[in-house]
Amino acid sequence: MSKAYFNYAGKRLLQAIVVILLSYVFTFVVVSILPGDPITNVLNNPQNGFTPDEIKEIIAAQGLDKPIPVQLWNAFSGFVTGDLGLSMRTNRPVATLIGEVLPSTLVLASAGLAVALLLAAIIAYGTQFLPRRYGQGLLRGFPSLFLSVPNFVIGLVLIHLFGFQLGVFRVIEPDSFWATLFAAIALGIPISAQIAEVLIANLDHESGQDYAAVARGRGLGQMRLFVMHLLKPSSLPVITVVALTIGELLGGSLITETVFGRNGLGSLVQRSVSTQDLPVLQAVVSLAAVVFVVVNLIADLTYPLLDPRVKLLGTQQRRPTTADDSSLPISKAVTP
Amino acid sequence: MNDCSFHSLLSRRRLLSATSALAFAALVATANATPALAEDGAQDGGDVVFLIDSLGDTWIPNNIAISSFQGHIWGHVTDKLLYVDADGKVSPWIAERWEQNDNATEFTLHLKSGVTFSDGSPLDAAAVVANLDIWYGGRKSEGINPIGLFPKTYDHAEAVDATTVKVFFKKPTLGFIPTLGYHGSILISPKTIASPASAQADLSKTSGSGPYVVESWKEGDYVKLAKRKDYNWGPAAVGQTGPAHLDTITYKLVSEPSLRVAAVQSGQADVAYNASPQELESLKSEGLTVATPRYLGFVNGWAINTKLAPYDDVKVRQALQASINRQEIIDTVYTPDWKLATSFIQSNVPGATDQSALLAYNPEKAEKLLDEAGWKKGMGGVRVKDGKPLSLTLNSNPYLATSKSIDELIAQQLGKIGWKVDIRAYDVVTYGQKVKYGGAGVPAYEVTRSFIDAGTVASILTNANNGENWFALDESDKTLNDLRDKIAGAGTIEARKPLLDELQRYVLDQGYFIPRTQIVQRIYVQSPKLKGEVYNGVAYASYYTATKSE
Repeated sequence: MSKAYFNYAGKRLLQAIVVILLSYVFTFVVVSILPGDPITNVLNNPQNGFTPDEIKEIIAAQGLDKPIPVQLWNAFSGFVTGDLGLSMRTNRPVATLIGEVLPSTLVLASAGLAVALLLAAIIAYGTQFLPRRYGQGLLRGFPSLFLSVPNFVIGLVLIHLFGFQLGVFRVIEPDSFWATLFAAIALGIPISAQIAEVLIANLDHESGQDYAAVARGRGLGQMRLFVMHLLKPSSLPVITVVALTIGELLGGSLITETVFGRNGLGSLVQRSVSTQDLPVLQAVVSLAAVVFVVVNLIADLTYPLLDPRVKLLGTQQRRPTTADDSSLPISKAVTP
Repeated sequence: MNDCSFHSLLSRRRLLSATSALAFAALVATANATPALAEDGAQDGGDVVFLIDSLGDTWIPNNIAISSFQGHIWGHVTDKLLYVDADGKVSPWIAERWEQNDNATEFTLHLKSGVTFSDGSPLDAAAVVANLDIWYGGRKSEGINPIGLFPKTYDHAEAVDATTVKVFFKKPTLGFIPTLGYHGSILISPKTIASPASAQADLSKTSGSGPYVVESWKEGDYVKLAKRKDYNWGPAAVGQTGPAHLDTITYKLVSEPSLRVAAVQSGQADVAYNASPQELESLKSEGLTVATPRYLGFVNGWAINTKLAPYDDVKVRQALQASINRQEIIDTVYTPDWKLATSFIQSNVPGATDQSALLAYNPEKAEKLLDEAGWKKGMGGVRVKDGKPLSLTLNSNPYLATSKSIDELIAQQLGKIGWKVDIRAYDVVTYGQKVKYGGAGVPAYEVTRSFIDAGTVASILTNANNGENWFALDESDKTLNDLRDKIAGAGTIEARKPLLDELQRYVLDQGYFIPRTQIVQRIYVQSPKLKGEVYNGVAYASYYTATKSE
């Protein structure tokens, strides 16, 4: 690895840290200027009968009477030193709350991604090699179909069919193997659409190349041609799409978790947003920023390693999104 | 967990085939004949799964909001000093008997002996004093709130001996005794009370003396309760004092209402909380048990802002009272399980009187009153006075799912008389922020609120003693102030009764409060296998007495 690569990596890392810190401050300011918070909300509800003095005392105890810059500084200095504070809603440590729900979301998101990749690969393979009369053209319509059906609809259909009608899983045990699988299918279907689109476009391009024609001419089997020769060059841009999809996996998991009754990061966010539980929101948004930034950083840092022709232009470097991107010349010299 | 799904697959198939259904029926019959019976003949054992739409926010016992979902769990994990049933009748529980002085400023509670918390410490007089102190004062600087509705007149309490507690108040507080049966007044172990807020927020670290203990829980997911075998101090009013029959109760959060009901229909769960009223008739015809208990409290209705024109005019308020067809609300939005309002407090509250005559639908009377008040019908049927239309802005209550449908129906009813009605819907946070009693743009604040003792009613209608000043009257209505003071100072229930009756008639006649319907805020859809549950004064289901057949 060259000095230029380390320079590039260093710049990208610095940029990533700045993005995370800015997202922290931004979230804090946005949520702080919104009216209400879980504490004042409970206290002001006349049903609870607190006197104005009691309300003042309780709010002061939570530090909510201090100016926003002071509150931001207190929260921020805690965050930098790894102290995520207490949830205003539950009074429990934010780190504990996130630790409880994170595994469930990680399992769902990775299973969803696996389902999405598998589906995309099957569809893409079909569009290349399925005989026309068996619906090759029809398969090309699948990604748009997948994108247009909301994932909660897919989820509800799966639950009613497999959960209630066939009894394959119980809705009250959403973390069981089968329930997780069906949740992953509901989450993976819309996400597979984008991956499939890119993969199909690249396969179309690659299979038109000379080397593919040569390979076919030498009598290479379809599966072998697909796996050994076409898949690798077509997959490079897929890495970019997958990196971008991480955000969608997190967002989609919120809906999927609600529908399937899973207690994950998504449902924690939903509860925290509806009560404006700032410390939890703060931590989750920062966590999401970290995940997003790290995934993209890995993608950015991997590219130059996988393909030496990618120029190291530091922060100006853009990753190619499709194989047709003119900045990335497509190899024509691969021999079977 | 996988074998459970496998099991449910099997049992589902078994149900689907007719021959196996017979075998299933035989199984039920033999299960009932097995000798695993408790003394009173009820069957022991079984697990219950209760699907709920929220488990509320914090588990710090004092910080729970009064109408919160946690009441279900606290009701099983903790006991109270007194029991209040669905009709507001107060009976002994941990306090076996009690006395008060003539002007209701001193109370003596005599406790059952031998009661223990699940951490082993005794529930004695000292433990009760520790609870009373924290209910009144909280530890605000540590984030532990007082109970908002605990009498602010509390002075102090002392343990006379191990089973006797004396409680002192600065002013007559007739409502103290019923307050002890309120779901906020739960008895917690002194060890838990002494622990910091973050420990109290962890439900598994909280010890009560109830028939169940928390076996495990996960925030926003589930709470699993297990039976306490040595429990022997249940309230006599429910007909049982020994241990519970059911082994475990699991409260599981499922936020989709249709999934909760479908899970009970398919036998995957036993109870679905908060189904939509429109579904109830068909669920009943499927053989499911539907319960719609009413709580003790105010009916669902509006507190009118008398500072805001034109509602500063008694004739306009009286016209509003007569313009609402309450029967049509029940027929259209609800089912016959809902009852007509007969006062501004629910009819099961002790002291509630029947004021139906003041709440009759009478459009002719309404039109006449509005004509007299100078509101003449103009363009498009809207009444106008001094160039201004007769308008009413309704802020639909986000806590009550049916609120907006009722608002829409009432808008039609009022439209016929000549009102121009605007309906606004906010989310919970914005609603809490913008909509207040007597708020600048709030002519009618929608009330849904439970309470145990009708004596608290008078104190919130005006602004005296931090009152909530529901009708923005401040101290301007002499009659109301007079009734309020007499009710607050009453030493006995009997002396208070006629005063409460007069208060109800006066408030409704003045059009200060416009009732809509009696409120059912908790709807239970339950498997017919589960029987014998009890609903208390705040309409929470207790499965302490319940049994489940296989």
